[in-house]
Amino acid sequence: MLKRILLPTILAILAYGFWISPDFKEIAAGVAIFLFGMISLEEGFKAFSGGTLEKILQKSTDKLYKSLGFGIITTTLMQSSSLVSVLTISFLGAGLIGLAQGIGIIFGANIGTTTGAWLIAGFGLKVKISAYAMPMLVFGVILIFQKSKSLKGLGYILAGLGFLFLGIHYMKEGFEAFKSVIDLSSYAIGGIKGLFIFTGIGIFATVVMQSSHATLVLIITALAAGQISYENALALAIGANIGTTITAILGAMSSNIVGKQLAGAHLIFNGVTGLIALLFLQQLMYLVDTISASVGIAHDDYTLKLAVFHTIFNVIGVVVMVPFIKSLVTFLESVLKPDHSKSNTGYDSARYLNDSVLELPATSMAAVIRETKHLYKNAFEIITHGLNLKRHNIASSLPLDEVVKDTYNTSAVNIDEFYQHKIKGIYGEIIDFSAKAQADMTPEDIEVLYQLKLANRDIVEAVKDTKHLQKNLIKYSQSTNPHIKEQYDLIRRDLAELLRNINTISYTDEEDLILLLLSKAKVHTEKYDILASGTIDTLIREGLISNEMATSLMNDSAYAYNISKNLIAMAEIIFTDRSTNAESIDEEMAMDAEDIEVILEKKDD
Amino acid sequence: MGFKKFIKKVKHTLGLNDYAVEGKKKSLKDLLKKLNKRKRSINKALKNPLDKKEKKELKEELEIVCLQIKKGKKILHELYA
Repeated sequence: MLKRILLPTILAILAYGFWISPDFKEIAAGVAIFLFGMISLEEGFKAFSGGTLEKILQKSTDKLYKSLGFGIITTTLMQSSSLVSVLTISFLGAGLIGLAQGIGIIFGANIGTTTGAWLIAGFGLKVKISAYAMPMLVFGVILIFQKSKSLKGLGYILAGLGFLFLGIHYMKEGFEAFKSVIDLSSYAIGGIKGLFIFTGIGIFATVVMQSSHATLVLIITALAAGQISYENALALAIGANIGTTITAILGAMSSNIVGKQLAGAHLIFNGVTGLIALLFLQQLMYLVDTISASVGIAHDDYTLKLAVFHTIFNVIGVVVMVPFIKSLVTFLESVLKPDHSKSNTGYDSARYLNDSVLELPATSMAAVIRETKHLYKNAFEIITHGLNLKRHNIASSLPLDEVVKDTYNTSAVNIDEFYQHKIKGIYGEIIDFSAKAQADMTPEDIEVLYQLKLANRDIVEAVKDTKHLQKNLIKYSQSTNPHIKEQYDLIRRDLAELLRNINTISYTDEEDLILLLLSKAKVHTEKYDILASGTIDTLIREGLISNEMATSLMNDSAYAYNISKNLIAMAEIIFTDRSTNAESIDEEMAMDAEDIEVILEKKDD
Repeated sequence: MGFKKFIKKVKHTLGLNDYAVEGKKKSLKDLLKKLNKRKRSINKALKNPLDKKEKKELKEELEIVCLQIKKGKKILHELYA
């Protein structure tokens, strides 16, 4: 409702403003160009993220000081705390980082964003910035048309910077011309009333423009032209800092619960920092004067003093809030809880796939990998129970013969129902999400995504084959005929071994162990060819099993073979290192049919 | 000299072409080191008194590890060629 009213109102006010004042038009055009520059800059940085993003993130955010540093550096480079917060939500959504790490990045981003005020006040207003804008735009646009992803990204960054500079230029010109027509500083409001009114204006302007940077540029240029008072500019800056959280909140709306918790942390942090700044404004102003004097900033250089103020109050905010990060995490986790309405109905759904993750190809990929692991976890449950085994026994070091003896149930479990509740929905979501994600991916990434889709299909096939296998497995593993019972227990034992090996693979990062276990599994899978091994002939010839038992055993050993094949193929895709070098080596070192034959021949000898 | 040939020569001089290959060589060498270590530990374990089943299992592991080492060495040899 508010959205419906807000947009036409803003458009009407702007149209009226353009009609009555060409200078206002110039200022508004400056803001629009500046915002366009921000979009272009964000697009450029997105082109450079990806690939080894996961590793960089894990290494650079595993400690609080590192995540703070990561936030400071990335925001300084990208000049957009909003982009950094949206990307952080995306990382969180994909499960690449935890909430505490995310909060660290957001705190760092608040310090990093203060460099913007310094750049604008110290450089943007003191030189003819538009002179730099033109070549940047020309080179940028030429590069945007190049095929190479890196050149395209560089083009967007250059064009983005060009538009930012051009926007600042128009805002500066507009305010200077505006001054000769109307003196806005005569509307300055002093005291607490002015403080709250201008903080409100700062919040509103940032919410509308969704960029505290744009608001800050507007404040600094207006301040430089003497159109607003220094005190009111400080209040506007505080408002901009609070208003900027709206971008994170909007970004978190399409994210999972952790993304929402991070947006909550951002709002609390900026809110508390803003409150501190408002309560201690006089003391902060005194501190700004002292620091400015000590570093040689002129007493009447209000734009640079605003930059000093902006830095001080954000640093104070971080210093005050850092000791409470753990409490903040606990608080947010207790207030913003996951929606259990779906799981209460018994239907499991995707945990990592949400629109916020689609921001980057790397986060999309990470989310699909994690979701596939989630799907496998559910499949592991049903396959284990379908084989009449207990999950904790598989995960333990209990001898396999004991694992087989300790049955889960005396009757068959309803695999169809489980499939509907815990497999089908997630599988569908993965396929749907993959289709959306590949729109922004390179052909190489699309190939990896295709492999992941195959892994998902393998999981689903393994579950379906377990359903077919279960029918006779339950019947004959409780049979009074010891020979058929032995054969079905062998199938259960071999599959239990495979599940145990995959479980080990999922937890280890020892490449050689992964390679060994996968190779072993491949060799053992070939044992299911019960016809070739001659077992079935012996059993029939000696009259140990009936014809009906023999056909069941033949069919079921084929199902067991397929389950093994599918699970091994899946494990090779999702549990091996996805980094380029390791991946190609894993592929080349993987055992092929010829190698398996060599091992089997040696065994027979 | 054509432009493409020039670029190729510059890349070769700076060793840029070998960047991916070098990474692969390093990863493979690391893996071979780990596989050799595992081979030694299996051989050591085989010297201990074991039951038939355990011995069979370890022997199978040894066969696989030996085959993997052979395979890895072949790939490494091709990378150096």
